[in-house]
Amino acid sequence: MIRTALLLLLALQTISPEAIQHLNAGRRAESQQHFDVAVAEYRKLTELDPAFAEGFLNLGQAFMEQHEYAAAIVPLKHALELDSSLTPGHQLLGYALLAQGYAAEAIPHLSRVREQGALGIAQVETGQFSEAIPNLQAALQKRPNDPDLLYYLGRAGGLLSKQSIDGLLAAYPDSARAHQSLAENYFVLRQMADAEKQYLSALKLRPDTPNLHLELGQVYAMSSRWPQAEEQFRAETKLQPGNAEAAYRLGNTLLQEGKAHEARAELEHSNQLQPQMPETLYALGKAAALDHDDAAAEKAWRQQLEIEKDGPLASQAHFALAGLYRKQGNTAKTEEQMREFQKLQGGSSQNNEEHQ
Amino acid sequence: MLIAVASAVGTSLLEVKSPRGIDFVLQNSPTPQKYLIETMPGGVALLDYNNDGLLDIFLVNGGHIDSPMQTSENFNRHDPRYWNRLYRQNRDGTFTDVTAEAGLANAGDGNYGMGVAVGDYDNDGYPDLYVTSYGRNILYHNNGDGTFTDVTAKAGVAGGGWSVSAGFFDYDNDGKLDLFVTRYMEWDTKNSKDCGGNYHTYCPPGEFPRTTNILYHNRGDGTFEDVSERSGIAAKKGHGLGVAFADYNGDGLTDIYVANDGMQQYLFRNNGNGTFKEVGLEAGAGLNVDGGPLSGMGVVFQDYDNDGRPDVIVTTLPRQTYPVFHNEGNGTFSDQGLQTGVTMLSGVTSGWGVGLEDFDNDGQKDLFIAQGHVLDNVEKIDPSLHYLQPTLLALNHNGRFERANPGTAALVAGRGAAFGDLNNDGWIDVVTTVLGDHPQIFMNHSGTAHWLTITLHGTRSNRDGLGARVQVNGQTRFATTAGSYESANDKRLHFGLGSVKTAKVEVFWPSGSRQILKDVPADQFLEIRELERP
Repeated sequence: MIRTALLLLLALQTISPEAIQHLNAGRRAESQQHFDVAVAEYRKLTELDPAFAEGFLNLGQAFMEQHEYAAAIVPLKHALELDSSLTPGHQLLGYALLAQGYAAEAIPHLSRVREQGALGIAQVETGQFSEAIPNLQAALQKRPNDPDLLYYLGRAGGLLSKQSIDGLLAAYPDSARAHQSLAENYFVLRQMADAEKQYLSALKLRPDTPNLHLELGQVYAMSSRWPQAEEQFRAETKLQPGNAEAAYRLGNTLLQEGKAHEARAELEHSNQLQPQMPETLYALGKAAALDHDDAAAEKAWRQQLEIEKDGPLASQAHFALAGLYRKQGNTAKTEEQMREFQKLQGGSSQNNEEHQ
Repeated sequence: MLIAVASAVGTSLLEVKSPRGIDFVLQNSPTPQKYLIETMPGGVALLDYNNDGLLDIFLVNGGHIDSPMQTSENFNRHDPRYWNRLYRQNRDGTFTDVTAEAGLANAGDGNYGMGVAVGDYDNDGYPDLYVTSYGRNILYHNNGDGTFTDVTAKAGVAGGGWSVSAGFFDYDNDGKLDLFVTRYMEWDTKNSKDCGGNYHTYCPPGEFPRTTNILYHNRGDGTFEDVSERSGIAAKKGHGLGVAFADYNGDGLTDIYVANDGMQQYLFRNNGNGTFKEVGLEAGAGLNVDGGPLSGMGVVFQDYDNDGRPDVIVTTLPRQTYPVFHNEGNGTFSDQGLQTGVTMLSGVTSGWGVGLEDFDNDGQKDLFIAQGHVLDNVEKIDPSLHYLQPTLLALNHNGRFERANPGTAALVAGRGAAFGDLNNDGWIDVVTTVLGDHPQIFMNHSGTAHWLTITLHGTRSNRDGLGARVQVNGQTRFATTAGSYESANDKRLHFGLGSVKTAKVEVFWPSGSRQILKDVPADQFLEIRELERP
């Protein structure tokens, strides 16, 4: 810092008084956000003293303030030609180049100043996904909710995954993992028949692969083919007795089939494996209610509401509790729960609209 | 995948037949503009219009739609291709098109047809027809000589806007049938739009303003009074499609259930003083089991578990499953979709016309649903869903519905469904409508189980006893021609008796009188006349 200030002082001593006047006028204009004026002043400064690197830096910065990235690039590059040690110059030029789509050119500048967020974005844009991810994660530690960083981190992860899967499909097209990967894609596209076919091929090759039965079960569940879903989820719970999701999915499927008692056992098991999951507790409440155990149902839904007080699942729990109390003839409690339900729904039942 | 499910459940009670004489095609005229009316017709009614003892079939047609639609579209209803049709049943099971001679040709330019209601509003012993439309509704008075007269103007029941389902019932128990009409939304050509971006789909109802349903009170002089405001019915705007009637709380007054699309369902409790209170939410019959809205289309309001109380089943869109609102007996309902197995049967289907009828005469009402998605290009948006779908038949085994073979694996865009005994063999048949296609006529193979079919003849109550509660050997039916979707059922009350050869029959008439008949022999069509004096 002291060294930079000294250098700047030395530099200022080398330029003419007239140039200093334009420098100060430019700075004043910038502080007042009169960027047009600042650009004009800095332009005069660079004309009067074409060897003054900071003059070009300031001109580039003024352009950047106006979002004129293309215009900023030339003076910033010139500033760095005059003085390659200008840290802000690298930072600004990196941003300007990235904004104009010259991601590869931006990377050395952003890298030099350790501008990890922008660097990560530039790396995503140039296909360097594995390099981008740690940079974006580091940047997110400083700015945890930055939507751009979150978006690019997600994109980097997705593209890295695609790159890896593409490699797998090219090298081992008939492997179980290749079939699984294709199946997952079909599932996302809701092409259930194709997804089923690919999962079955994968299972034929490697029947003991974790999650294959679970994923195939979800294909069947999505298609309302509940007995087939049950079979797959059962297979997964056998393969992975410690997998809470498999137990949850099996429990939920049994619930859809109206097998209350069995559903309850699986959901309780899932809750033991991974306690405090609102989804599990909500389904557990439904299974208990279906099993005519109102006290257990009430307990599960109340426990769920302790964990999650708002959101769609909480709203559902209030509605379920209202139904339970209504059946018991407890009007006061029914109304109380309906009030909570409607509060979470954002108003009256009139708001219960849904799109096809 | 769906075909496999449909065909994998053994031999069927039903068989789809094409009786000679029925050449109707439901002309919905789909356009690239995706006008929402195109996907919503059409109704079917089973009625004996000429009192010859045989059920006849009335089918509602849509109309021609220009592409793009004109701002004052006439739908070419004068063109015979777009007529509604009445088919008279002949003694040999064939049908004769009597539309023109009955005076039912040309349902009026500017009216795109939707549904039909049947009821003897003037108690003259002949069933009258009420046809709903996008446009103007028409009341056809049955002249008793094989012809009908359009009496809409005199009766004052033209409605207007977009009417869908309708039903006759006697809400004030004055012995004269009143009329309820559901209306879907505020929609017209000028304000039409399509949705789905590049896919161009029909828009969901939430894209258009809600509207009111209509209640007409029968003055008894051939005219009706619109009491929608006064009765409280108009206080609740919605996206009404199906309607069904029953007395859910046992107070002797008929209540109304309206299936609303994409929102809460409405249960209008009859207060007994000419007004209604909407209690769907507080009664637990307004939302699905998770508190979500429903795309309610068809509805049936009958007792599926023989506890004597009417339950409600609503047909909806995929991923919602069809709720089964079980009547708990204390004025409330609970969704028993999981317990009854209906949830399992309805995850990826869209239901429309629906009925709870005892197809195998075992004494338990079974479930029949006409199915097909709203969007004719739904596969483009979600390949796991399908526009054309199989018909659902589910047999009732002690309150749990199990999928059965409906008699066809055909995938169709099913809409209306009407239930009745077409060939008077004591076994329930069904007629469904299919968009752009011929109706499907499901004939019941019949079997060895016993049955009893009752025709009510009201004297102090309305002529057909609509609104009566009839109990036979522990089963209960509510006398109505309404329910399903846009359709009207055989007014006769059918009961399967299983192996039992006699029945105890109790009729609770809308007038308040009660009649008991003991040791009634099975396997007959029984007419019960209401006693003139209590």
